[in-house]
Formats: sequence, structure tokens, C-alpha cells
Amino acid sequence: MMSIPFFAGAIAILATWTGIRGPLSAWLVFLTIVATLVLFAFHATDSLDIAL
Amino acid sequence: MSGRLAYPLNVLALYALSVVLGVAFYDQFVNGALPCPLCILQRAGFVAVGAGLVLNVMRGPAARHYGLMILGALAGGAVALRQVALHVVPGTGAYGPPFFGYHFYTWAFIVFVAVILGSAVMLAAFREGAEGARRTGFATLAVALFFVMALANGVSTLAECGTSLCPDDPSSYEGYEALMDFMGGQN
Repeated sequence: MMSIPFFAGAIAILATWTGIRGPLSAWLVFLTIVATLVLFAFHATDSLDIAL
Repeated sequence: MSGRLAYPLNVLALYALSVVLGVAFYDQFVNGALPCPLCILQRAGFVAVGAGLVLNVMRGPAARHYGLMILGALAGGAVALRQVALHVVPGTGAYGPPFFGYHFYTWAFIVFVAVILGSAVMLAAFREGAEGARRTGFATLAVALFFVMALANGVSTLAECGTSLCPDDPSSYEGYEALMDFMGGQN
């Protein structure tokens, strides 16, 4: 599951490189970002130990 | 800024990101430091930024591509800032040894901020409709190198975490071991 952003990014690069027309590459980059944020939410559950 | 000047800057930035991911790989495989889940997600942020750069290099600079780079840098920067905050209080330890005085997550945060600033400058100086420069072999090599880096990070993460979430403090390549166990059980 943690590898999804990397493979989405790699496919986006490949789609751009091979000249696939349309917004597919941009949407795949966007998917990379969304997947990163979703996985971040799964891993940022503990409260920070900072007393101000 | 004309496309002719923006083009080499994007290519150089793509090489710089490959170096960043290369240093992380060096630490992982030569120093034997397994990346933590937040470290992996910072690498994912770099891949998102790099994919935006590839769009600029292959299709010419565009506001949409810079926007994607900024979003990727914001996502990666948020992850890096979280890790900095986890270890900023004295006595809370750190993850991994320092590198030129700072830990990797602090460097990652600095690089993500630099990406946001750089993209903002390029957008401000960017002339709509400016022609891009002719693609060079140097640029194609940058794209190929970054593609290999993104793919290698995917495979490495799959070997470390398998198909689920990574443990907070990884101690082995669990995905690879599970695969070996599965293949051993088949014989």
C-alpha cells in the first residue's frame, strides 16, 4: 500500500515520456499526491509531545 | 521568463531530485538504515515534485505543472514537518544519524520549501505562451534517471512494507521476507 504513490508517479512519468496526450499524466501526479496525504493520515495518529 | 531559460532550470532541478533520492538510497543500502514510514512518504513527495518537473521538461513549462509541484512539495513538506515536530523537543531522540549537521527529515523540509519558493518565482516570471526549448539528450537522461528512481523506490517500499502499512520502527524487509516464506511454502 505504501508503494502506491511511487508506482503512480512512475506511471505518470512513463505516460509523459511516451507522449500520451490529454491530462492523464497530470491526474496521475495528482493521485500520487493524494495517496501520499492519505497514507500520511494513517501514520500521523499520535499526538505531538510539545507543550507550549 | 522565456521557455528557453525555464527548460534547463527544470532539467537541473530534476537531476537534483535524483541526487536527493540517490543519497537516501545510499543511506538505506550502504549504511543499512531502513526508512521509516514518514521517511518513505517524504520520498513520495519528492516523486510527486519530480513528476511535475518531468511534465515541464517533456511538454514545456505550464502553470498547471508548477501547481502540481507546489502541491507535491506541500504534501512532502507536511510529512517532513511532522517528523521534525516529533523530534524537536530535547530528549525525544531522533531518527537516523545527522547528515551535514541536520537529519534527513530537516533537509527534506528545507528542500520542499525551496521547491515551493522556486515554483513561485518561476510562475511569477513565467511568460504565458512562451516557447519551450528543443528537448536534448541531457533532458531525456534526467527523465529516465528519475523514472528509475521512482520505480526503485516503489520496489524498495514493497520489499520493506509488503502490501500493508509500514511498521513505525521497521527492523527488516518484511514484504521481501513474506514473499520468500510464501515461495518456500510452495515448494
